[in-house]
Amino acid sequence: MTQLERQQRGLLNLIKNRGLPPDDPYLRQVAGSRELTIVREIAVWWRAFQIEDQCYFTSRLLKRRECFDTIVTTYFNNNPTSPFIEELGRDFLNSLRDHDDCLIRAVSQFELALLQVRAGCTDCFEVHWDRHPDRVILALEEGSELPASETGCLYRMRIARDLPRLLVCTREYATQQE
Amino acid sequence: MASAHKVGRTHPVPALATTYEGDDPALLERIVPLIDTIEISPDAIARSDAKQARLRPEILEEYQSVLPHVNLVAHGVGLSIGSFDHWDESYLRLLDGLFSRFDLDWHSEHLACTVVADENVGTMLPLPRTEEVLDLICERVQAIQKRYGVPFLLEHVIHLLPDMPGEFTPAGFLNALTSRTGCGLILDAYNLECDAHNQGLDICAFLDELDLAPVRELHLAGGVQHKGFYLDIHSQPTRDTTLAIGLDIIRRTPNLRVVTYEFLKEAVVLLGHDGICSELARIRQAIQQ
Repeated sequence: MTQLERQQRGLLNLIKNRGLPPDDPYLRQVAGSRELTIVREIAVWWRAFQIEDQCYFTSRLLKRRECFDTIVTTYFNNNPTSPFIEELGRDFLNSLRDHDDCLIRAVSQFELALLQVRAGCTDCFEVHWDRHPDRVILALEEGSELPASETGCLYRMRIARDLPRLLVCTREYATQQE
Repeated sequence: MASAHKVGRTHPVPALATTYEGDDPALLERIVPLIDTIEISPDAIARSDAKQARLRPEILEEYQSVLPHVNLVAHGVGLSIGSFDHWDESYLRLLDGLFSRFDLDWHSEHLACTVVADENVGTMLPLPRTEEVLDLICERVQAIQKRYGVPFLLEHVIHLLPDMPGEFTPAGFLNALTSRTGCGLILDAYNLECDAHNQGLDICAFLDELDLAPVRELHLAGGVQHKGFYLDIHSQPTRDTTLAIGLDIIRRTPNLRVVTYEFLKEAVVLLGHDGICSELARIRQAIQQ
């Protein structure tokens, strides 16, 4: 490994807050510097800015849940991030598909499906909601109170290019809550 | 229209350029009468579908529509010419597309690394000023010069992190680079001001040491302060102090062709169309004196 490779890999790890403390004297100096904190903040700030632009509803929901900054920082640290905003937005939303919070799961996958369909994807996507999706979107849009989960109720939403207005949603009374 | 013209002084008055990244035809209409050249960032006008970046045809049409009135230059962000393993080939594909559509006066990039082991760093890392890096960059510069056949310029970036150990001074490294390859330089007055503020760079000493003959373009911009640091987030009008550095550079550089006012697309809301136009008029007036 050349000196340049060692330094660049080391800086990547430091900026992304990964790996073990470095042995290299220069990297140790960087690791202890105030400037590294600034560089990290700017890098995450840009990703957050772009994600807010691309993932409007998901960002609003994550802010409501007071976890936006933490999730974006964790995402930046643990994943390669595309310099292309559309790709970053899609990858970020995709990373939330298994989130513990079912509303974050639903909103992010709804937004991801819409982005993909609008970009020309011909797949059909299905998103499950535990409360009325229109009311959720309206609440996020207006900043009003989010609707509560409807026990025993499942909203099955399909999103595809060939559907009228790109989506249909049906309400089902599920025996088992998702 | 875009070429520099003599106005009875030692050096020609440089042309005026600015950034335009598309999707704002009202802005384009306002700025075109005020400038000579548009700086295009291929990365900023591309969209990535299925991991393949492509130039957006509707933005290329916008440039096409103003071609009788302005010249075009390209200024990239994503080449990552200083990555230890390889540059980003996808950037060159974007540049190929731009060159196939337009006659560009020249193209340029940042002397930096944005990708490490195929992973985007999230910032621009300056390069260590070593012989090892100089050899690497020179080889890549020569390959780019051969590929496009028009002048290629490199721009120094701001240094936020402590400098890596090196064998050259900042100006000495650029001198070695330009003398070995014949490439041109962009000097960014705001980047120099950031380095002076953040890292204690002596701008006068830097300019005294630098061979200024290869400098073809000067960048002006205004950024933000964060926790005491100057950051190169181009979102403000040019500060008077930055403009003064720029004017000093203009006086010193014999072959300067263009002065470019840079701003981010995201900053248009902050600056406003009126603000951008005022800034262009202000810079034009300053560089003509």
